[in-house]
Amino acid sequence: MAFPVSPAATPAGPVRAVSARHFLRLKLRVMGNSFRGQGWRIALFIGGALFGLWFAASGFFLFAVPGMTGNGRYAVLVAAGGGGLLVLGWLLLPLVFFGVDETLDPARFALLPLPRRTLVVGLFTAALASVPALAVLIATFGLVLTAWALGGWSAGLVAAVGVVAGLLLCVAASRAVTSAFASMLRSRRVRDLAAVLLAVAAALLGPLQIFGLAALRETDWDRLTGVATVIGWTPFGAPWTAGIDVAQGRVWAAPVKLLITVVALGALLVWWSRSLESAMVGAVSAGRAPVRRGATGGAVAQLFPRVAGWFRRDRFGALVAREARYWWRDARRRANLITVAVVGIFVPVMINLGGAGFAAEGEQGMTMSANDSSPVLVTLSMLFVGVLASVTLANQFGFDGSAYAANVVAGVPGRVELRARMTAFSLYVLPMLTVVAVVLSVLLGHPGWIGLTAGSLAATYGAGLAVNSFVSVLGAYSLPETSNPFAMNSGAGLAKGLLTLLAMVVSAIVAVPMVVAAALLDDAWLWLALPVGAAYGLGAAMLGAYLAGDVLDRRLPELLATVTPRR
Amino acid sequence: MTGEHPALALRGLAKRFDGTIAVAGVDLDVPAGSFYGLLGPNGAGKTTTLSMAVGLLRPDAGSAWVLGHDVWRDPVAAKRLLGVMPDGVRLFDRLTGAELLAYNGLLRGMDPAVVDQRAAELLDVLALGDAGRTLVVDYSAGMKKKIGLACALLHGPRVLVLDEPFEAVDPVSAALIRDILTRYAAGGGTVVFSSHVMEVVERLCSHVAILAGGAIKRVGTIGEVRGDRSLEQVFVEVVGGRTATGEELSWLSR
Repeated sequence: MAFPVSPAATPAGPVRAVSARHFLRLKLRVMGNSFRGQGWRIALFIGGALFGLWFAASGFFLFAVPGMTGNGRYAVLVAAGGGGLLVLGWLLLPLVFFGVDETLDPARFALLPLPRRTLVVGLFTAALASVPALAVLIATFGLVLTAWALGGWSAGLVAAVGVVAGLLLCVAASRAVTSAFASMLRSRRVRDLAAVLLAVAAALLGPLQIFGLAALRETDWDRLTGVATVIGWTPFGAPWTAGIDVAQGRVWAAPVKLLITVVALGALLVWWSRSLESAMVGAVSAGRAPVRRGATGGAVAQLFPRVAGWFRRDRFGALVAREARYWWRDARRRANLITVAVVGIFVPVMINLGGAGFAAEGEQGMTMSANDSSPVLVTLSMLFVGVLASVTLANQFGFDGSAYAANVVAGVPGRVELRARMTAFSLYVLPMLTVVAVVLSVLLGHPGWIGLTAGSLAATYGAGLAVNSFVSVLGAYSLPETSNPFAMNSGAGLAKGLLTLLAMVVSAIVAVPMVVAAALLDDAWLWLALPVGAAYGLGAAMLGAYLAGDVLDRRLPELLATVTPRR
Repeated sequence: MTGEHPALALRGLAKRFDGTIAVAGVDLDVPAGSFYGLLGPNGAGKTTTLSMAVGLLRPDAGSAWVLGHDVWRDPVAAKRLLGVMPDGVRLFDRLTGAELLAYNGLLRGMDPAVVDQRAAELLDVLALGDAGRTLVVDYSAGMKKKIGLACALLHGPRVLVLDEPFEAVDPVSAALIRDILTRYAAGGGTVVFSSHVMEVVERLCSHVAILAGGAIKRVGTIGEVRGDRSLEQVFVEVVGGRTATGEELSWLSR
């Protein structure tokens, strides 16, 4: 692709330069066309936009508080803390929850004679035209207000420059990271390395956790300001604090911080353009895989992986076996599975170890040792893990795409289909959840709580499976057929994220009885939690499959149509 | 039952997408034991019609019967008799060929031993045995067609519905597919397939229907439709083509 082409060798006629404007217009046009004649898509988009607006408005006021109250003491804290969280969110959330909007798939540009610089700048510009980016811009303009109120026009101006640079940094970070992970997960060799890196990324949630918890203790405000000052000198906080520095008389700091931002931005774009190239070439041809031999036994024996080997050789067994193979062989599904494993272990450990002191203060108002978590808090963190694990199935039919036609043609009953999918996913997730339950109770120094952790997990996971079978049948959507497992379809990213959030909230609500029981019943619950939770989870999942299976039976062709990517 | 009912009967099938009419009321009777070719240019509605006939796409109006079983009212009975190879639809391509066959066989409620035996035979006959543990996603286009055909044949359906079975297939594979289909039809099965390759249709089919603009234009045995002309002449006349005059696109030659 990269052989030099002299201008004389190009086709006759003047070649007009392609600018970022063209990419922007292309993206808007593609988005517009994807809405055509699809009322629900427009509704979802408007819902997403309203949510973004709400987020933007509340963010704006939070950032503007130090300016409006005229209190400059915590301005750096708000700017560095809030801004840092934003950057971190842009970095991690696409990997963990939402994916990135790939309206303009880089692979589509592979054949066009575009310099890489033009391509990166163009795709970057197009990525900026999204609801989340706009929301962040509005929200962070609260910082401009603060800087202006505290330090006049010059400070406000610097803050405005900083805020725009910060937004660019956010978007570049999310693109670079998802693109790099995508190319890693594609390659069979470094895919395990990618899993480790994802774990590290999730571990980055740790500082966030400590920061948030410490912020809730008033005594540490001043120490926090010190932390914020340090963050202000990293790319996470530099763009947001430049204006405040001018306002508070540290004029020399502003150019340095802007320089830090620009350097970080440049590095991210270079990184992105590297992995972009591999994405473009990789999509054209991943190379023929070597012919693998050594098939043992008949076709049926080959279909059943060892993990599903003990299932009966019938329709249900075949569905489970195929799903179990897919959870491992399909890059998109594997990425989801790894995320669940990593987040599922890290988050509860951090909540319970880091948050214990806070919980003790908040609930009883007395001091306990830092290692003392409460049954309610443990149950709540298990609720989160169970919900997170089950929400992976929210678009389970979307993973299949048009291949789902095979099941429609064979006339698989909806209940069997849903039960088999739950079973196959559970083959991977249940051992994972068991590890979480055991590790957590041991780490907390309460091995006796295994019943409590495992029971809450089982109940939430089962309830989540039930809720998500409905979501997957009624709210399915097609995933683009690209090699990027994080890619989302045209413009609907935020709306889809909302659907996921809704599924999580409903699952959590269904599982609330477990929390109530943990709060009301004392020691008895430690023993009752496991049998009750397991029964509750299993019952909920079976009921969900029974009811949603009925809905599925009536919607087979419609579901197939919604998960088939439009070409 | 076979004697009384046509293998496939379509009545008034219609479908519209976003305001454009894709299929405007198709009536068709496919006699049992026939080799039926559905001809039409790109965008004529062949895929849409066949999808509605086998239960993949819900029609706006009309109905479809497979050997007397309503596809939309009694899908289980109808789908049991059908073998389908859709076009433009992915297979579960992260399985190997053998795994895919086993999956489809068990999904149809077949006995595992029978699945094993038939899968081995099909892989052998279709020359896919050499692929070993290669995933279907890494197959070539022709191999994908062949494994798709194997999936449709595995459970021994009475009616075989194939969408573009000869598209993107090299001559060797095409000859193989032709042989298998001819044997299947000789054994009493009914084959319905769509194509725009005149030569194949002329060679194989006992019956032909020409579809254009979402409606059937000509239908009957191949002799009736063709008359004393070639099928291609009839087709172009029915569909209405245009030939380049040589004036436009002059910049292509220099």
